[in-house]
Amino acid sequence: MPDQLLDVLTTAAILYIVAVGLLIVLGVLKIINFAHGGFLTLGGYASLIVSQLHWNPWLAEPVALVAGTVLGAAVERIIVRPLYSRPLDAILATWGLSIVVVQVITIAFGRGVQFVRSPIEGAIPLLGTSYSLYRLVLLGAAVVLALAIGAVMHGTRLGLVARAVIMNEGLARGLGINSELVRFVTFSVGSGLASLAGALITPLLSVDPLMGVPWLLNAFMLVLVSGTSLISLAVAAFVLGGAQVLISSYGNPVLGGLTIVVLAALILRVRPLGFARG
Amino acid sequence: MVAILGVMALAAVAAGPYLLDTYSVNILVRSFLYGCIAIALDILWGFAGVLSFGQSAFFAIGAYGCGLAFVHLGLSWETAIAGLLGGAVLAAIVAAFVGWLAFGHGVSELYVSVVTLVLTVVVVQILYSGGDFTGSSSGLSGFDTFDIEIETWFWITGAALVLSAALGWILVRSDVGRLLVAIRDNEQRCSYFGISGSGIKILVLVFSAVVTSLAGYGYAAYTDVVAPDLGGFQFGTELVIWVALGGRGTLIGPAVAAVVIDFISAYLSGSLPFIWQLFIGLLFILVIVLMPQGLGGAIASLCRRLWPWPMDSPGVARLAAVRADRIAREHAAPAIELRGVARRYGSLRVLEDISFVARQGELVSLVGPNGAGKTTLIRCISDGHERSAGQVAIQGHDIGRLPPERCARLGIGRKFQTPNVFDSLSVAESLRIARARLEPPSPWRRADEIHLPEAALRVVRATGLDRSLTTTVRHLSHGTKQALELAMVLAMEPRLLLLDEPTAGLTKPERTLIGAILVDLVANHDLCILIIEHDFEFVREISSRIIVLHQGRLVLDGNVEDVVSSELVRTIYVGEQHALRETGA
Repeated sequence: MPDQLLDVLTTAAILYIVAVGLLIVLGVLKIINFAHGGFLTLGGYASLIVSQLHWNPWLAEPVALVAGTVLGAAVERIIVRPLYSRPLDAILATWGLSIVVVQVITIAFGRGVQFVRSPIEGAIPLLGTSYSLYRLVLLGAAVVLALAIGAVMHGTRLGLVARAVIMNEGLARGLGINSELVRFVTFSVGSGLASLAGALITPLLSVDPLMGVPWLLNAFMLVLVSGTSLISLAVAAFVLGGAQVLISSYGNPVLGGLTIVVLAALILRVRPLGFARG
Repeated sequence: MVAILGVMALAAVAAGPYLLDTYSVNILVRSFLYGCIAIALDILWGFAGVLSFGQSAFFAIGAYGCGLAFVHLGLSWETAIAGLLGGAVLAAIVAAFVGWLAFGHGVSELYVSVVTLVLTVVVVQILYSGGDFTGSSSGLSGFDTFDIEIETWFWITGAALVLSAALGWILVRSDVGRLLVAIRDNEQRCSYFGISGSGIKILVLVFSAVVTSLAGYGYAAYTDVVAPDLGGFQFGTELVIWVALGGRGTLIGPAVAAVVIDFISAYLSGSLPFIWQLFIGLLFILVIVLMPQGLGGAIASLCRRLWPWPMDSPGVARLAAVRADRIAREHAAPAIELRGVARRYGSLRVLEDISFVARQGELVSLVGPNGAGKTTLIRCISDGHERSAGQVAIQGHDIGRLPPERCARLGIGRKFQTPNVFDSLSVAESLRIARARLEPPSPWRRADEIHLPEAALRVVRATGLDRSLTTTVRHLSHGTKQALELAMVLAMEPRLLLLDEPTAGLTKPERTLIGAILVDLVANHDLCILIIEHDFEFVREISSRIIVLHQGRLVLDGNVEDVVSSELVRTIYVGEQHALRETGA
């Protein structure tokens, strides 16, 4: 029982970390960044490079964050900005980018699956059971990340301006807010967060060029079901991630992998707003 | 024209095996099948506007239909047909289910892309978990299949491609094709004409799924191998890329792109597989950003500029009057009956406790300052989902929670405040769409005569629209678009007309004309008209009754003179202090 609870919490945490970058991009730019999976993969391979260079494994996260942010900035200027008035085409273009990233990584690193050592190994006793320390670290990281983003959104001027753009971009521009800059920063940060997530989850699984896609699909569904609220995302990650864990343990692991996408699709059909307040 | 090109293409197909080496013929059999799928996807996406990443799922269903039939039931004519029909029927059912999920009320238009992507994941997982029945991860292979020469396969699939292209071309040039474009461009406007956009999109999705499953069947019968990743999202997204590169909405572009890219991929897959994929990805990004109409679209507009293609503009349509029935005046039920209608957004009350009755033969003007809730009231009458409380009955039928297209079929015609028209269609095509519910469009012809009721004809002739029937609506002036929308709504032959500032942007003579038409409709054709207007002179001239709204409440409902001379109305419009000053108090 406590094992299950911890599994649910840590799975929810991992999903939250992966999806939060996608959510803020959707909120501010109103597009789904289909390259999110590609950035995630990039972060994973950044982690691989750090481990191959024998640097301190904790450096993987900052390296991934920086790499993702820089690349995200370039992508926003070159690909996303010209498509400002064509959001559906922006989705397609970012999907094309995802393909490009995967192919470049495949050419550079090969198609095989590779592993990265976890910066923290072992388990600690918790709630009467022994549980993976790294997963608990991720749980902590998710909480810290959520609080940090919440603090920026509600405590800083940048956050206020971003919220204004999310609510009504036309009006924000009319009031003199440089929404282009807001979009630029948001997309860069969102991509950076995706890469950070990639680096964080790599020790748990492995890296291969196609690792990003299942995460993209899950993150995509979570974000659609959450609307533009960070709190709804946390709720969605908990509910749907929990369902995935339970179905994988008590039912069929194959079905478990499908849980999030199928449940989210059904929820959206019944209540198009998802978990967001209507 | 189509016939000539078709015959030429068939001749090319016939000559193919004699001019190409065996390897190329082998590849092209498969490429032609992909071309058919690309055509189906272009009709679905380029014309109907449904971005489906999941066509691969239907392809896999068709392919496994063939494989499963031949593996488990052996090879015979009966099992072959069983496999074919089984695959097609299953694809249709799945497509119908996906359509039901994706095209419901209030569902975001992104959702269908999401669900079709999810579908591919689900299908692949199901195939993986099928154990010995589906062959799991290795799939099924080496089963007995039709004993046909490669050349014959080439002719079969080549002919199938030419046939699909020809039939597809006829469909998209027909009135049904224009209807798909109308739904893609402005589904809301279509629903207010009584056209169910969701229903039609589901049909198109089912149709494209069946065609794709047939291609899958052919693929399996030819290659003798079926594997789960036939249905995966990689192939599904590849199809979308081919259609985008070829030019969505051009039909031939996607077919050519699919054939060419698949053909080249086959040759390069040995030597530089990743670089080719990388190149395609980069090309895709470039095309989306710089040339969204795709290579096919760019070539098509270039050709159009160099050589005006006669097929592009079919014969100018003629307008003809349709005899409107004079409906007898004895109606038990009033045209509109509202009871306690309210519209709230949280604690904001836009409308509160609106109740009134209007009958056929009345011309009711709805007046009130900005923000009084007039347009919201029109929305609550024409869309069952809109109101927060109260009942609305049209001709005695309670609209409950009916969507706009069902309300429109009860006889409501709604004209929007800002011109709500089809930007990429021509004037004639727009009028045709407005008539679609009364005169179902043909899937193979474009009607050369448009039947309009007398009132619509008068509007069209008086505002000069009859001289610009082939003009694209996007190029019309604001006032002309207003007139076009009014004509379209009148073309629906509504029993109840809801007009939201119909004369905004029109000249004085046009205004007078519209006024005369509306009065005539009410007097001689027994319509009930509810009109929102700010021009008080206009209101006085044409109304039989005026309803005044203020801050969401109905404050006055009476005949013209009573309302116009009322103190309350003056206070509302002019302000209390000012009114007091005027009366010398």
